[in-house]
Amino acid sequence: MINDYQTYNSKILKITPEGSDSKTFTLSMPYKDFAFEPGQYVMVSLPGFGESPISLTSYFNEKRFFELTIRRVGSLTSAVHELKKGDTLGIRGPYGNSFPLGIAKGKNILIVAGGIAIEPVRPIILDAVNNPKKYKKVYIFYGCRDESALIYEKEYPQWRKVCDLSLALDNPATKKYTKGMVTTLFDVKDIPSDAIAYVCGPPIMYKFVLEKMLEKGFNPENIYISLERHMDCAQGVCQHCAIGTKYVCKDGPVFSYAELKDFKTWLSPI
Amino acid sequence: MNKEQFKKFTEHLLKNNKVIAPQYNAEGKLIIDELRELSDLFLGPELPLDSWKWFMLPPKMKMFDYKKNVITEALPKIKKQIFLGVSILDLQALTLLNQVFEQDAYYQEIKKNTIIIGTSHVPKENFYQYFSSFEENKLEHLQFDIFLALQNGDYKIYTGSEDGQRLLDNSGYKDYQHIEYAGPIREEGLDQQMVSVMDAMQNYHDQKIWDDLGKRCMQCGKCTIACPVCFCFRMFDKSYLEKGSGERDRVWDSCYYNEFTQVAGVTPDAPKHRMMSTTAQKIYFWYEHHFVRTPATYSLPGCVGCGRCTRTCPADIDIFQTQKDILAARQKAKK
Repeated sequence: MINDYQTYNSKILKITPEGSDSKTFTLSMPYKDFAFEPGQYVMVSLPGFGESPISLTSYFNEKRFFELTIRRVGSLTSAVHELKKGDTLGIRGPYGNSFPLGIAKGKNILIVAGGIAIEPVRPIILDAVNNPKKYKKVYIFYGCRDESALIYEKEYPQWRKVCDLSLALDNPATKKYTKGMVTTLFDVKDIPSDAIAYVCGPPIMYKFVLEKMLEKGFNPENIYISLERHMDCAQGVCQHCAIGTKYVCKDGPVFSYAELKDFKTWLSPI
Repeated sequence: MNKEQFKKFTEHLLKNNKVIAPQYNAEGKLIIDELRELSDLFLGPELPLDSWKWFMLPPKMKMFDYKKNVITEALPKIKKQIFLGVSILDLQALTLLNQVFEQDAYYQEIKKNTIIIGTSHVPKENFYQYFSSFEENKLEHLQFDIFLALQNGDYKIYTGSEDGQRLLDNSGYKDYQHIEYAGPIREEGLDQQMVSVMDAMQNYHDQKIWDDLGKRCMQCGKCTIACPVCFCFRMFDKSYLEKGSGERDRVWDSCYYNEFTQVAGVTPDAPKHRMMSTTAQKIYFWYEHHFVRTPATYSLPGCVGCGRCTRTCPADIDIFQTQKDILAARQKAKK
């Protein structure tokens, strides 16, 4: 019987620091034919420290390597940050569903992200960068605490060739950025409300961003949200990630806002 | 199978196998444990304190051994075990666990080495209407190896697997009828009691029920241990003293604990980054798992009506009463 919990080792090929507390790990493929869709995640394992779900952040058509951006927040991620080039990380997956990109072909796209949560939507941005004619116009709204929390900063010039990138910082040190939460960008910039939206951020962000988007006339069916949850099994058994009748690990992590409204989880926020 | 034949059969079981069965302990409590003496065996309508999941899905299971970055599968090393005297309620619970852990290498390894002998004794405290009485046609939707159906003081014997037939053959008993497992779903469709509670919780939400329970529940998690179908687990690594070596384990978890939905450690900007914080949220999650999520995922009731949670609850929260309240809220809203 196949053991669904078996991890496969990936070699660390490169480590790139991102902001003050994150690092991007470029990794070798854990096994032959490893492939993923944008929005999916893997369970990252480090013997002695356990496992944690981490979003895949590289371009999904890249066959030679894949990337994970990991923020130092707990014991496992701190231990991962100590690793050097040539060390290995255990990987199982990919798991979960993905952001539907097919429906966005030829249309406007809006990406809304907060902090480290730009990670799962980066594959969409890289898709637009690699295929400049695939989408009509790609808008990115990215909000962070301050300059030190910005992720993938070196890539912004490259993104800007194809995408319209707007940045908002809670406490900016310079005047270069819009001051405020990511929601303030909706008042600064006009976005066509027919855009397909891909949203990822901390739970608190969803409440305000979704309110704003509905106010601006977005269709709940065109808003796709990636949720973060505690996960152990990643295959819909252990119950940690459950909301209503669904499992974020298996049925998600991506849900349309229309779906989320129907979950009827009266007592827990999405 | 008359009393004499039953004695011979059980003696045969005990002689060659590890038999786990209901028996009274020194405190006078009915427990499930390894059977040493045949005279200790208790088969009757009373339900044992704990459920069979202690032996089918042990509280702690080693999953892997690791040495540096090499991680090796460690399946449970288990000798053949026989569950003797599993009530139909508990058979329903095991049938659900079999579905949930269908793809799970660890559970399947234990299941492969377990023979389940059910009985038709119906507990008096049962509130699950489907099992308020035993009828033969209910057997094809339960998973077992051998089934003892009480009939005029004797047992009528059914088998549910080749393993069960072989065991009976080897003991010298041949008068059995085979029942082919027809899957968990009955001909008449979904269980009506299950459907109404699910509908009530999803479409006729009454916040007061949960606020009240939230005030009484003390989040001890005893119900999750007592419940025969609470199967949440968490995984963690345990290091040995020898550097770089250890094991990856999984243990029962409880949705009443704060860590259950905790994400991303405890950081300065997210000191309580968790999805459920209030007691009301947690107890709602527990009921939602049993009465909404499990039926929606497996088309099976996520509660078999054994009442073990009620029996163990230090705050006297009565699951039968809560069910009535949930249904009453629906009734009221419909009017």
